[in-house]
Amino acid sequence: MFRSRSWFGGGWGRPKNPHSLERLKYLHNILCKNTTVSESNRGTLVESLRCIAEILIWGDQNDSSVFDFFLEKNMLSYFLKIMRQKCGGSSFVCVQLLQTLNILFENIRNETSLYYLLSNNHVNSIIVHKFDFSDEEVMAYYISFLKTLSFKLNSHTIHFFYNEHTKDFPLYTEAIKFFNHSESMVRIAVRTLTLNVYRVQDASMLRFIRDRTAAPYFSNLVWFIGKHILELDACVRNDSDHQSQQKLDDLVAEHLDHLHYINDILCLNIPDLNDVLTEHLLHKLLVPLYIYSLMPASIHRSAQPSPYSNRDGMSMEAVTRNLEAILKGKSREMSPSRMTFSRQRMESEDESKPYVSCVVSLFLLSQVFLIITHGPIVHALAWIILQSDSSVFEDGATKILEMYISNAKSNVKLEFSKPQLSLEKALECTSGQERDYTTPEYSGPKTFGYDTDQSSCDLDPELVSNSLPSTSHISESSSVAHDSTEDLVTQIEISKSASAALGKQNMPDSPLPDSGIESGSSKSGQEFNNITDEEKQKMLGVTPSSPALTPASIKMLLDKENKEIEKRPFLKTILDSLDCRENDYKALFALCLLFALINNKGVNTELLDTLLCPEQSENSNVTAGSTESAPSSEGSEQEGATATPSKKPIQSYNALLISKLTAIASLSCRSGEPRVRLVTLELSVTLAGIAMRGSSGAAGARHVAAVDGLRSRAAALARNFYKCDDIFLDMFEDEYCEMSKRPLNVEWLCMDAAILLPPTRTPMSGIAFAKRLPSGEMERARRAIRTFFLIRDLYLKLTGKPETQLPLANPAPFVQVGDVLDLNDSDLISCDIIQKDGTWHHRFLAVDNIQIILVEPDKQRLGWGVAKLVGSLQDLEIQGDKEDPRCLHLTIHKPRVGASGALPRTVLLRAKFKFDDHIRSMAAKQRLTKGRTKSRQKKMQQIGRLLEVSGMTSGPPSLAPRHRPLFTRPGITTVRRHTGVDGDDMDRRLRRPSGHMLKDGVVVYRERTTSRESSISRGSSGHPSRDGSPRARSEDIPLEDIRRNAVAAAAAAATAALQTQPSTSSQPQKAPTGSSEETSFISGEPRVKRKGIVETI
Amino acid sequence: MAYAYLFKYIIIGDTGVGKSCLLLQFTDKRFQPVHDLTIGVEFGARMITIDGKQIKLQIWDTAGQEAFRSITRSYYRGAAGALLVYDITRRDTFNHLTTWLEDARQHSNSNMVIMLIGNKSDLESRREVKKEEGEAFAREHGLVFMETSAKTAANVEEAFINTAKEIYEKIQEGVFDINNEANGIKIGPQHSTAAGAGGAGGAGAGGAAGGGCC
Repeated sequence: MFRSRSWFGGGWGRPKNPHSLERLKYLHNILCKNTTVSESNRGTLVESLRCIAEILIWGDQNDSSVFDFFLEKNMLSYFLKIMRQKCGGSSFVCVQLLQTLNILFENIRNETSLYYLLSNNHVNSIIVHKFDFSDEEVMAYYISFLKTLSFKLNSHTIHFFYNEHTKDFPLYTEAIKFFNHSESMVRIAVRTLTLNVYRVQDASMLRFIRDRTAAPYFSNLVWFIGKHILELDACVRNDSDHQSQQKLDDLVAEHLDHLHYINDILCLNIPDLNDVLTEHLLHKLLVPLYIYSLMPASIHRSAQPSPYSNRDGMSMEAVTRNLEAILKGKSREMSPSRMTFSRQRMESEDESKPYVSCVVSLFLLSQVFLIITHGPIVHALAWIILQSDSSVFEDGATKILEMYISNAKSNVKLEFSKPQLSLEKALECTSGQERDYTTPEYSGPKTFGYDTDQSSCDLDPELVSNSLPSTSHISESSSVAHDSTEDLVTQIEISKSASAALGKQNMPDSPLPDSGIESGSSKSGQEFNNITDEEKQKMLGVTPSSPALTPASIKMLLDKENKEIEKRPFLKTILDSLDCRENDYKALFALCLLFALINNKGVNTELLDTLLCPEQSENSNVTAGSTESAPSSEGSEQEGATATPSKKPIQSYNALLISKLTAIASLSCRSGEPRVRLVTLELSVTLAGIAMRGSSGAAGARHVAAVDGLRSRAAALARNFYKCDDIFLDMFEDEYCEMSKRPLNVEWLCMDAAILLPPTRTPMSGIAFAKRLPSGEMERARRAIRTFFLIRDLYLKLTGKPETQLPLANPAPFVQVGDVLDLNDSDLISCDIIQKDGTWHHRFLAVDNIQIILVEPDKQRLGWGVAKLVGSLQDLEIQGDKEDPRCLHLTIHKPRVGASGALPRTVLLRAKFKFDDHIRSMAAKQRLTKGRTKSRQKKMQQIGRLLEVSGMTSGPPSLAPRHRPLFTRPGITTVRRHTGVDGDDMDRRLRRPSGHMLKDGVVVYRERTTSRESSISRGSSGHPSRDGSPRARSEDIPLEDIRRNAVAAAAAAATAALQTQPSTSSQPQKAPTGSSEETSFISGEPRVKRKGIVETI
Repeated sequence: MAYAYLFKYIIIGDTGVGKSCLLLQFTDKRFQPVHDLTIGVEFGARMITIDGKQIKLQIWDTAGQEAFRSITRSYYRGAAGALLVYDITRRDTFNHLTTWLEDARQHSNSNMVIMLIGNKSDLESRREVKKEEGEAFAREHGLVFMETSAKTAANVEEAFINTAKEIYEKIQEGVFDINNEANGIKIGPQHSTAAGAGGAGGAGAGGAAGGGCC
């Protein structure tokens, strides 16, 4: 490089100004003289190219003559010439050339300049040039070049790239060849480019995309997604020991990327494209692989002679072959008769039909429903899962695609209201024909110079060669494509409008008419029974108190639903997966799927009624429903149901679902070795909440009763761990914090590959606590506490009761930093506070019944003090000093406050307290220790009441703790120095000259400090008088009110206390009920004087 | 061509903060900073030397792709390092850092090294974001911080190389799984070929430190 420069510099009278037309002419000269790239001149060439780019951009912004010259001399053609030479170092030059073009197109701002550059088709020639793509550098610059170009696409520039007459769009067709390149960045660039292309609003171009490229591209895309999934499945199967989690992470992330990409395309809302994509996704991936894998394992096995274990070692080649078979399956037979083709396919490929484990399938489907919201896809998929029945499987083994068609057919039938077999067959044939366009195999001339021999091309060569767009096919297939996709849409529309009828609609296809009739009639009978029961209850005005009346009917309902569900193999698989008796491995995914399904906006709500609506919805006329259900279920064999499709109540599995969900919760409450992870419980509780929402009346009462039962069982479980040792309280509060701070996020949960591996116990797996089973007694306790919270939460939600007991009531922080307190006759211990960094403060230590307060004497009034640091006794750690008996080491933690509590806990102050002598030190220690114990005992009593620990009946939960401090306060009286203006805390604090006190206080209360800083300026300008005489007014104004308030509050509290007293008296540690007892450890005698009290807030 | 490792970087930040200029300035120093001519590019590669090892940096600008969630997602995941850039003359670009960082943290692998860059340090007179603020933000979020100028090339070199050094250290510590290319790290071809076609430093990496070119 150095050489080239010097050579250059010594050159032929180079114009000095690097940005000038002269310079460009000079460079042009160089290009003319060096038409052949060689070892010796490539440096010159590279530098010239670079300079040309620079001058062009300069010219674009400053001098149009530069561009004129560039075009006049047709300089891009030199680029091409250089590019096409295959001599030594050509890749070096090519890279520079591509980068020059990148820079050029990236920086050109002038529209006309851009048009000039694009106008002579050189750019397209460069695009189709066969670079050496095995060179990763060339590849990267090439794809960046294409991507840069794609950002320049709009409805004008598109015509430079897409030739409507020759049906040529090299930018797009060349790029998508690399969609599966091994380099992730290349893949991403291709995706970006495709999205940029799709969003250009050009009908002709989009038509081209749809007709010529959509089928091959999407089928390839879908195929590789499938490939990934099989790889993922193999990874899960082989990794029960959590060895390749990293790889699993990547595969899961990759699948998410795919789904997001597909969703991005769908979100562009290009109807034609979406239809093709929908069709491919459903027919080539979601149904044949995902849904198929939901079939009971026995069916797989019968179709698959090799046992599971043998599959483990399945090579990728085999996997690929299998998938290829699925994807290409039907195209092998180009005959329009679908029947022939399907039969052949069935025979030839049944044995190798790929599937993934149920766990993986559920997991992947959850992701689909969490990400994709495109109506037709998610709705069709949801419909298949919820409504389609097993008859097709029983009949024709495992013809998933056919089943899908037969569903479509039944829709069509519904539309025409002609349930005749002959028509069915006719429709079958047409639909088979219609769907031929989706095959990736087109045999035609190579239009775009697809080079199948090219090694760098990452498409499957066979597929690519076969998927070449051919004009002859396109015209017909495109129109067909349209029809066919329309067909799908219609189908969906219909299923939306009449989803109620569809469940029954499938039954006529059932090969087992007997079972159909049997279940139909038995169902009607049960329905009658059930209804009468419910009606009875209603008439009697049955309320939650009498759920005992209904078990029989529930049982019947469940029996019926259990019977019905045999016809819904996929839903059955999902619901069966909820069984956690062995473990909750599958259940978690089934829950994720149900959750995703229910929360997907694209899924029709009527369809969801299958799960969410109770059998007899309260709003529908019960008698009408019952009379109607009898004939329709009987007549379903003859399609009688079509007559009244809209009135037909949908077959609901609500009771079944709820029973499964409560079973999970119930299992969680069982003592002994836990089998249900917290995340599973949380999800099932969430879902139960949703599923039970629909019910009211007797069913609602039944649910409430059931959940209440669960709640007391959960409390019993937690009670096992209720000990009066310190850790339980901390755990309890931590868990509550954690739970309210991090509500379940299913989307994030489904990004976590770790849950794909069998549930583990050990924390060494690095899996978060909620996503594994507890290890050891401590974690079991935490789990029990969390279980209690979750179930209690469900109970409260269901009953509509507000939460009054959690978080554990912290008596309102009585004293706050900056408060001025009347400390006359209080017990104060003088001490020096020495922090680690050597800072030193002199303070007085006061102990309230819940707080430790460090005060500094108020300079303006004797006997009063300013609180400089306030911490709760509960969060205090006390340690003596081994060397100096006068010293104590205290650590004050910040209290947890609801969801905002910080974890890990932040330290408010950690310091050495030095007292005057060892007596005072001991007194302080004793006082603090006692105070700590007492304040913790109070909380433990609250927990005791929550957990229904015997002997702790629940008193008025909200009143007692809240008011207690008001009059059990010892000797400290606060006066908030506010001037009657109802300012916020910050303001009040500001007006108090908080002084230099406690550096740590300033540090810890950072937000306060800053706000104080900012408000000082505010305050000084706004209330100049206040700083000057802050006290004068504050003393007398509030006091009157305060006294009155205090009296009133005390009175109220006294009554409250009276109520609490009996309930707490049985405790060995007396609950604080009067003003006297609590003060004992502080002053030895009750303080009667109460100068003034201000309610804190 | 021969390198010990290849690190993939991404550059993120609001539009107009000078991402593509930084990129070009680093990968091709021959583009001398000139008056009233701002040139940028979306991709570039260059060879650097760390600890006597040839390391190739591949830098991908993500500009304009924010509209597509799938694209940003995958970009983050495929990178070993990220330069998070704001413009010291525009307060809003600084305010948006939190959002960028959240995005990056959510989608990237946890080991990704993120460097905070306050660009346009040459425009001192129009400064809206104090250097201390950048430092504080970086400290708070555990990032490395630097103020650069793509115009004067000040600190540009350092920004990219320091990031690379940190990635390199993480490799030495075994934090990065180098065999997993999804991390944005690739091990170079084992053979230290002399026939590397002189492509060292890649396009326009003529000035690349220690590139084996020519």
